[in-house]
Amino acid sequence: MIKSYKLRRHIANAFVYLFLIVMGFVWISPFIYLLMHSFRGGAEIYGSTIIPQEWTLQNYIDLFTGSGGTASLNFPRWFLNTFVVACFSCVISTISVLMVSYAFSRLRFKARKKFMNVGMILGMFPGFMTMIAIYYLLKAMGLTQTLVALVICYSCGAGLGFQISKGFFDTIPRALDEAATIDGATKNQIFWKIILPMSKPIVVYTVLTSFIGPWTDFILAKIIMGDARDNYTVAIGLQLMIDQDFKNTYYKQFLAGSVVVAVPITLLFLKMQKYYVEGVTAGGVKG
Amino acid sequence: MTYVEYKQLNPFQRFAYNTKKFFCNIPHAVAHFFTALGKAIVKFFVGIGKGFANYGKTFVKGDWATKLSYLIFGVGDLSKGKYYKGILFFAVEVLYILYMAFFGWGYLKMFPTLGIQAQRTEYINGIIPKQVPGDNSMLILLYSVLTLVITVVVFAIYITNIKDAYRHQIMKANGQKPTSFKYDMKQFLDGKYHITLMSFPVLMIGIFNVLPLIFMILIAFTNYDKQHMPPGTLFTWIGFDNFGSLFNLVEGAKKGYTFIKLTEWTLIWAVAATFSNYILGMIFALMINKKGIKFKSLWRTLFVITIAVPQFVSLLLMNQMLQSNGAVNILLSNITNSHVEIQWLNQDATLARWVVIIINCWVGIPYTILSMSGILMNIPEDLYESARIDGAGPVKTFTAITLPYMLFVTTPQLITQFVGNINNFNVIYLLSNGNPTTEKYYQAGETDILVTWLFKLTMNSQDYGLAAAIGILVFVICATLSLIVYNNSKSMKDEEAFS
Amino acid sequence: MKKILAILLAGMMTATALVGCGGGDASSKTDNGSKADNGSSDGAAKIEGSIVDDSYFGDEGTDSKPVTLKVWAPDAAVSLVKEQVEAFKKAYPNRKFKEISVVAQGEKDAATNMLNDATTAADVFSFPSDQLNKLVDAGVISQVAFKDAVTEANDEGTVKAGTLNGTLYAYPETNDNGYYLVYDKSVVSDEQAQTLEGVLDACKKAGKKFIMNAGDGYYACTFAFTAGVKIDGLEKDGITQKFVKYDEDEAVKTLQAFAKLIKDYRGTFQSLDVANIASGFASGKCGAGIDGSWDTASNQKALGDNFGAAKLPTINVNGTDKQLISMFGYKYIGVNGSSKFPATAQILAHYLAGEECQLQRTEKLGWGPANKKVQENKAVTGSPVLKAIGEQAKNACIQVNVANTFWDPMANLGNKIIADTCDPSDAAAMKKLLNETISNVRDEG
Repeated sequence: MIKSYKLRRHIANAFVYLFLIVMGFVWISPFIYLLMHSFRGGAEIYGSTIIPQEWTLQNYIDLFTGSGGTASLNFPRWFLNTFVVACFSCVISTISVLMVSYAFSRLRFKARKKFMNVGMILGMFPGFMTMIAIYYLLKAMGLTQTLVALVICYSCGAGLGFQISKGFFDTIPRALDEAATIDGATKNQIFWKIILPMSKPIVVYTVLTSFIGPWTDFILAKIIMGDARDNYTVAIGLQLMIDQDFKNTYYKQFLAGSVVVAVPITLLFLKMQKYYVEGVTAGGVKG
Repeated sequence: MTYVEYKQLNPFQRFAYNTKKFFCNIPHAVAHFFTALGKAIVKFFVGIGKGFANYGKTFVKGDWATKLSYLIFGVGDLSKGKYYKGILFFAVEVLYILYMAFFGWGYLKMFPTLGIQAQRTEYINGIIPKQVPGDNSMLILLYSVLTLVITVVVFAIYITNIKDAYRHQIMKANGQKPTSFKYDMKQFLDGKYHITLMSFPVLMIGIFNVLPLIFMILIAFTNYDKQHMPPGTLFTWIGFDNFGSLFNLVEGAKKGYTFIKLTEWTLIWAVAATFSNYILGMIFALMINKKGIKFKSLWRTLFVITIAVPQFVSLLLMNQMLQSNGAVNILLSNITNSHVEIQWLNQDATLARWVVIIINCWVGIPYTILSMSGILMNIPEDLYESARIDGAGPVKTFTAITLPYMLFVTTPQLITQFVGNINNFNVIYLLSNGNPTTEKYYQAGETDILVTWLFKLTMNSQDYGLAAAIGILVFVICATLSLIVYNNSKSMKDEEAFS
Repeated sequence: MKKILAILLAGMMTATALVGCGGGDASSKTDNGSKADNGSSDGAAKIEGSIVDDSYFGDEGTDSKPVTLKVWAPDAAVSLVKEQVEAFKKAYPNRKFKEISVVAQGEKDAATNMLNDATTAADVFSFPSDQLNKLVDAGVISQVAFKDAVTEANDEGTVKAGTLNGTLYAYPETNDNGYYLVYDKSVVSDEQAQTLEGVLDACKKAGKKFIMNAGDGYYACTFAFTAGVKIDGLEKDGITQKFVKYDEDEAVKTLQAFAKLIKDYRGTFQSLDVANIASGFASGKCGAGIDGSWDTASNQKALGDNFGAAKLPTINVNGTDKQLISMFGYKYIGVNGSSKFPATAQILAHYLAGEECQLQRTEKLGWGPANKKVQENKAVTGSPVLKAIGEQAKNACIQVNVANTFWDPMANLGNKIIADTCDPSDAAAMKKLLNETISNVRDEG
């Protein structure tokens, strides 16, 4: 009886392993394909075989030295731009989100519920409905075609993403605050000295999501930057590479560029994964 | 069912009961939503009425300084020795007047017409054409909205100023001294800490979210399109015409037809995308977390890479792989040893829709795996125990316990995902770009959802007014759905459970 | 005397402009009426070729008002345009130019970018003819100042297509914006390239592909045009597409012939993005394709000596060979209506679209000129590509005044004709498809 139960479990586990192996392969095969073809040589633009027949590093060299075409495609510059924008907007966004969610979670004030509802409602409008208006506001401030504008765009709405971190703060026992208050701590001290040190997962989660944002947006950034190619981010830059005018020359460099963008983000993400999961789990249920 | 009866049920039956109650409650929740909405509106107007009553009452009871505060900001505070506040109030008034005089009023007065003087051509030396700029409808609208928002804020400050003046008057009458500057500042780190925390984010959201949103909502009531484009031409108010053309169901009215069809597909898409990710993701998570399975973090990592790689890379790659000469067809050709040339995305609407939904699983399931793993571990073991005693198999256990439990616990998350999918621009735009094309729709393809249509209308055909109207309708759909479910969801009501 | 003349002229032109704005229906009449306007100004100041008299600048480009301009040019042309701008500066030695920058900007999105924000867009920009309507509707493009000189120097077709409601809005730049047949000479012989049947047959025998992007309205409209369903400008409302009268039976037969041919050569005929043509030539998988002038360089690079170019082939419809009719357009240089230096912008645009600059473009970039004199140059007559484009241009519908609603139904028509499910022998279904396509193009909803 016991033996057959064990056997059954082994068989079940074998099926699960099989399933996971197959699915795992399905999941990463596009990226293996991308990686392989970023090293593809030869004159073909699109690969006509699954595994490239010629291998070369030329795509990467061209990407960074610009020797493959006109000087207006400057990938290293775009990479740097994106990095700078991502760093700044990540700092501002993280601070805003944590401040707002702490206030909503821990402080009780008039109109708190109303603010939360308004926040939720604002999140339901399609994002790029407001693109044109944002563009002209930035223009009135003289900021269009600058990286500052991008930082503003990526961090201004951050406060609206309070749900998950508020959910996380909600799970920290209130008794801690109360004990601290009795000891004479102000709300400010409680936030910095008690709550924040306990919130590593959600801080990492917020930092991670806001850092990745600028690497992936290609719509708002394009509208703000217009023809100022020197200020492009990698996302618009790579989009430009597969534009009709460039596809023939730059497709393989586009693949290489995609790898260059994807690898650091992926590594970062995998390293921080643990916190991401904790943050999302704790915050998600309550949020 | 009474409480005692409920207590006698085993956990498994309790669960079924709760789930049933949740779903039976939906019609009630809908009704509740509308009554609550009605009540809120009534409350709002009553509030305004009360505000006016207080406004009058305070004036009657106020001393000279309070009365003067009705005209000059901050006099009340200044007269009672609260200098910094009084000066701030006064500065607001001065700045507002200057703003209105030199900037705001000029635009606001053109708000009703959105400009009358169109651009015209003059000739330098009789031959070189030169455009003399006329009114710019868009800037008029944008700055009018800005001015209106500023006016509302200043009005709120004005009311605060009066209240503050009256409060200090009462305090003085009771022999109390106004609080010191230092004390007030300290309050911002403690009792009024929420103001310190919230003001910067709220300001940013106000300028870059609320203001543009009001602007775009107003755009929906104008004829801002390719034939009415500032600075070359003017646009003006047209009332509900944009909405009218979306709801025009007369045979042959293309915009109305497109709207109905796309709404239909958007909803199908949102339901399919949300639930396929949710259920499949849960199954994946269960498998990874199954007892006796090794290398859990390796499996998770394999799936999670899709989250880390930017979507414009992964989805464009997918698009390329699904072309008729792409990797998928090459692979199929190699396997079947014949020439396979399936048009996955470009020809057959049904096929393309399936492909989009399936690829979306590839994109979305990892998110579910990440967010579910923790919660799945928290399902009370006794639920499974009692199910096993009832003789339920793994499928039955999943449909009867795991799924309802998760649905119950993660409803808010599910709603967020549903709303997210209605607005899921990236997957559609990058993967299929709305293809296959169809002649029946106005500026849209078979797999376009409302938001990608909105985007195409803005970018390709400059139908800004129509696009804004669609944006509003998308919002209405999202908001109604989520409010109903939020109101109905228990986990929302339990907000204070941990406190 | 000069002044009086100038004032008179200004008055006349304003009147013309007013009439022009008043209503589209008056257009043909004002066209005749306004012929005299710019012409007589030649007496006031001289225009010699692409160089005009200094007096046209007004107060621009002087010490007190130095000029800052931005020029948009497609990537391939940026370095050449930079040289041309330098030459422009030298041609006007008495003028002060603070900066004339040349910025890369794809022509495909020129109008979209102009409409997004005209005030930060370029002062002088290059765009294809189909965007003219959009630009004029939105009022962001300035009309041409040197109309007579331009009309005289350039090809009649290019001038006509740049004219809306009797006003010329842009300086013709090229006369080559279309597609033609490119083929691998080692696969398809010059003779086989004359007929679609020949091309497909040669490709099939060599085991190679023939690529045409039939799922894109821009290429797919060839089916309709060849069938006799040609476009003829817009209706009075300015948004509805007009078609010429056509013989329905004949049109249906032609479409059936296409469908049958494609069905017969299934596997050889492939509907793919045109970027696959150069790629396919390079890998030896593609034998021929229908590709645009903008891809000429990549195709030439891929094929080397085997590069062949010809006008589109013919198709046999019930025994008669019918020439494939394509969509064909021009490229123009426009002046931004919001330019702060309208006179300099006009003079620069006039210069860049002038004979010398067009010749340079032909020689260095292989672009087909709009200028009549350059068209007779050896660089044009000796180029097989430009010859092919030139011949195809005679068998084409001009891409101007094309309705917004044109492309999707045409793409759909193409998709239906090449679909597996299409039955070439079913005339009734084809007729229905054609009629639906037409009514959907014309329906603005």
